[in-house]
Order: sequence, then structure tokens, then C-alpha cells
Amino acid sequence: MSAYDTELPIRADLDAAHVAAMADWSGPGTWWAGEQRLAVVAEVRRARDVEPLPPWQEPSTVDLLVPDDHPLPGPVVDVVWRLTNHPGTLTGDWHASILARGVEPLAYVELVSIVAQANCVDRFADGLGLERMPIPEPGPGMPSGAVPDGVEVRHHWVPTADLSGPNVWLALSGVPDELAARSRLSTPHYLEGPAVFGDVVSDRFSLQRVQMELIAGRTSKLNECFY
Amino acid sequence: MSGAGEGDGGVRHGAVLVGLVEAMWDGEPGALAAAREAVLDAAGADVLVDAVAVSANFHMMTRVADGTGTPLDPGTDQASEGFRDGLGVNDLVSRRHVPAG
Repeated sequence: MSAYDTELPIRADLDAAHVAAMADWSGPGTWWAGEQRLAVVAEVRRARDVEPLPPWQEPSTVDLLVPDDHPLPGPVVDVVWRLTNHPGTLTGDWHASILARGVEPLAYVELVSIVAQANCVDRFADGLGLERMPIPEPGPGMPSGAVPDGVEVRHHWVPTADLSGPNVWLALSGVPDELAARSRLSTPHYLEGPAVFGDVVSDRFSLQRVQMELIAGRTSKLNECFY
Repeated sequence: MSGAGEGDGGVRHGAVLVGLVEAMWDGEPGALAAAREAVLDAAGADVLVDAVAVSANFHMMTRVADGTGTPLDPGTDQASEGFRDGLGVNDLVSRRHVPAG
């Protein structure tokens, strides 16, 4: 099964990664069930497709925007919208306020992971003018709630594992399945982890490395990302 | 990387690639279609697909970094000290460094 119906030359590994990502979101994660994970993906789409809110306005406070029977709690919807539309405005105080509203620290990490991945997959489809992948029915099962040994808050806002590596790689390490899922998606989009900092000259796919870094740098600047 | 300018900036097809990235960011369908055509004409369909894929990846990675409060790695912090002001990134809300000590 292909993710997209197109004559564009989408590489098989890239297409397969998107199919796998959607399948992964439909099943239980470490902190969220499949129904909730897919609801996050759907909410990313809604946040992008409706009239945008300014960063300081939380969708859960807007009349009729988040129905009472929404499958996600209000603070989670607020995270999805803010992270999707205004990632460069986030602060430590904002993160603390989300935890204070009842979102568990590692559940928050999984939430960030799904929002980030859904933005990647959908922005790829949108960028090429393709239909986004349909959202499937959720799979069965309950989240495991597994916490790896040694996970604690170190240099990030969120708890991370006691590992060494670039800080952005460590960011999701408190939920190892999400770190792996994000890496599986990044590899066919950009580079395998070690090559990001280790090999800075080799070309990849149809692009020269300097072209890739131009695209990466401009995208990061538009998102106002200091990292 | 940090702002509008003329030409390719020394990068093959640089201008049309940046145009594509900016059109993806803006999301206006007409401008995005025109940006895709410009890349197709200049560089071909493989480059178009791969360029969109790289940009999409960094829409993901920026959200991972900024959603988790990821600080700049110490090596990058020191190496970039001399040109961050020029790029205009020192004033970003998302600026974070690894705490000393």
C-alpha cells in the first residue's frame, strides 16, 4: 500500500516510512492509546487548516472550538495547536503551566513527538500538493506506561535518559519508542542520526549536502528555532 | 538562510529551493504551486520531492527541539557565538543554552 497516489518520484523508503508512521500512531504508545494518538494527528490537521489563533489564545478557551466530547483533554488540545502553529514562542513557563494542568511529563514528551511527526508527514503531502494520508481506525491495546531507568530532568524541560548525544536527539529519550519512531521518519527525509554531525559533506538522494543544509536552515529560521 | 536576498547564495538552485521552503511555510496554494513549478523546471522532480522532504523533516525537528526545551549543544554554542547576532537568532524566544556547571 502506498501513502500517496501520484506520479511524482517519491522514494519507496520515504513512502514506506509515512505508511509506517500512520500505523504506529494508530496503536497504543507508552502514554496514550491509539484513539488518543490519532486524535492528536487529527487535531494537528485542524490547527493548521482553520483560521489560526494568536499564540497567546488557547483553543480550549474559545467558545465552541473544542467540543465537550472531544477525545483529548483541553490542555492537550492547547499543546497541539501551540506547537503546530507557534513553536518558536514556547517558554519554560508555558511548559510548566501545561504540566500544572495535569499533563504528565512523559505523556507530554509523547505528545510532542506525535505532533512533530504529524507536522512532518502532512507538510510533506501539502508541500507536494498531494492528498494527506487518511486517518485509520485506532488499533486495540493500552499504553504501557513504561519508564526507563535513569530518566530525569537534566538540561531539557522534559525528563531525558542518561545517554550521550546531541541534545535534540536526547529530547525524546524519556520515551524510547518515540525516539525510535522519530528517527525512523528522519532517516528517509534527511539523514541517519550519526551522519547529521559526523559526515557533513556527502550528498544524499538527489540533493547536495549544501542544498540540504540551506533548506534545513531556512526552514528552522522560519520556525524561529534557536537550536 | 536568515532572510530575503538575491541569487542562489552560492548553492545550486538555491533561490528556487528557498522559494519552495518559504511557500511551504506560507501555505498559500497558488504560490506553493508556482514554487513547485520553479523547482521542477530548474532541477527536476527528484529534487522537488527530496527538497520538500528535507523541509518537512525540519518542521518536525524544530517542534521536537522547541517543544522539549532543548538547549544548544555546548560545542555548537561556542562555535556559533561569533555569527549568531548576524543571523538574528540571539533574540529568538526559543534561545536556550546548557546551564553552566
